[in-house]
Amino acid sequence: MTSGNSDNPIQSVYADDPDMADLVRLFVSELPDRIASFERAWRERRVEDLARLAHQLKGAGSGYGYPGITQAAAELERELRELSAPQGVADVRDELDTLLDVCRRAMKACG
Amino acid sequence: MQIHASQLNSRPRVLVIDDSPDVHRLLSARLRSEDLDLIPAESGRAGLDIAEKDPPSVVLLDLDMPEMDGFEVLRRLKDSPTLNNIPVIVLSGLQSPHDKVTAFDLGALDYICKPFDLTELRVRIRAAVRLSNLLLMLSQRAQIDGLTGLYNRAHFDHRWREEVARARRKRRPLALAGIDCDHFKSINDNYGHPAGDAVLQGLAAIFQRACRETDLPCRYGGEEFFLIMPDTTPEQAMSVCERVRTMVQDVVWPRHPDHGLTVSIGLVGCSEVGAVDPQKWVEDTDKNLYAAKQQGRNCVVMTELPSGGVRLAEAG
Repeated sequence: MTSGNSDNPIQSVYADDPDMADLVRLFVSELPDRIASFERAWRERRVEDLARLAHQLKGAGSGYGYPGITQAAAELERELRELSAPQGVADVRDELDTLLDVCRRAMKACG
Repeated sequence: MQIHASQLNSRPRVLVIDDSPDVHRLLSARLRSEDLDLIPAESGRAGLDIAEKDPPSVVLLDLDMPEMDGFEVLRRLKDSPTLNNIPVIVLSGLQSPHDKVTAFDLGALDYICKPFDLTELRVRIRAAVRLSNLLLMLSQRAQIDGLTGLYNRAHFDHRWREEVARARRKRRPLALAGIDCDHFKSINDNYGHPAGDAVLQGLAAIFQRACRETDLPCRYGGEEFFLIMPDTTPEQAMSVCERVRTMVQDVVWPRHPDHGLTVSIGLVGCSEVGAVDPQKWVEDTDKNLYAAKQQGRNCVVMTELPSGGVRLAEAG
């Protein structure tokens, strides 16, 4: 399990795979936009959009060599699916932070 | 199962149905070295539309998608008579045995869990492409007459209904000819069955030469053939049939140079197809063929169906 408190950079599993290097860089370069989208959706309590964003990141993370992102995104998606009202988004802040933290650590390794 | 032109291309087409742009990006990078064309679809609906227009060799299908999910896409693919034989590999993050069982029950060929191992994905796609090629070969063989290389009766039955429906939809002309070799039995009786077979092959070669590219000669059985002529007016069809008739009559057969052959032809054409029964059309063609035999053989007897006439009857 990825620890939410650590801020060690995370390298992609495919960091040394020449076929993947460009794609991984592209994925990481788009992470700040994704993070911003998460934050905006969370502020505006758009539960459906949050779930969709989490679902997409869950599918993408491992593909680019970041199983930690997939894991955190899956956790967040599961929690979101269980929410009954938009007001409940506050309850998923921990899961969201864990996910965004893993993303930032991936950015650090590439930066 | 129908054969589509695109399926005959040597490069297999793999349709990827997944709502995540990342998956498309990753797959196209990961499968770049494979001899494949990847066609991306970002929703179930879009994927079905592409498959219907241009059936792929293999489908890679995500399950967890908004709106139409992968199970529904799979169900629709398997319900479609033209698409149900396409191998489908499910590529999904859903890992429960229940999801797998459901996917296989619905007709999936294979199930790969995300995140996928690249090497495994490659070999599984290759296996699916092999299966798709075998199915295609089988379906082609099942539609072709072994002796003459023409389409067989099974293909004719299916294709004729399709052509009638198409002509009706587009209000186009259409013609059907029944062609029978006169006194064919005397060839078998006098020169043996191999000579009879050679005649059937020779007739098939003549039909193919006398016909235009769009015409479809089929061997219906024995020495009887059908010739479907799409987009052909009764007058044009008559001239195709006359060309066939005179070409056959002029042939000198290597095995029996002194014994020429002729064909009798029954033809039914229509300038603008309305609501007609394809089976009735075939029966009328047979009647005209019989009439041609009665009139002394080596001739064409034609009748015309009224243009779109039955549409009026429908309206009334």
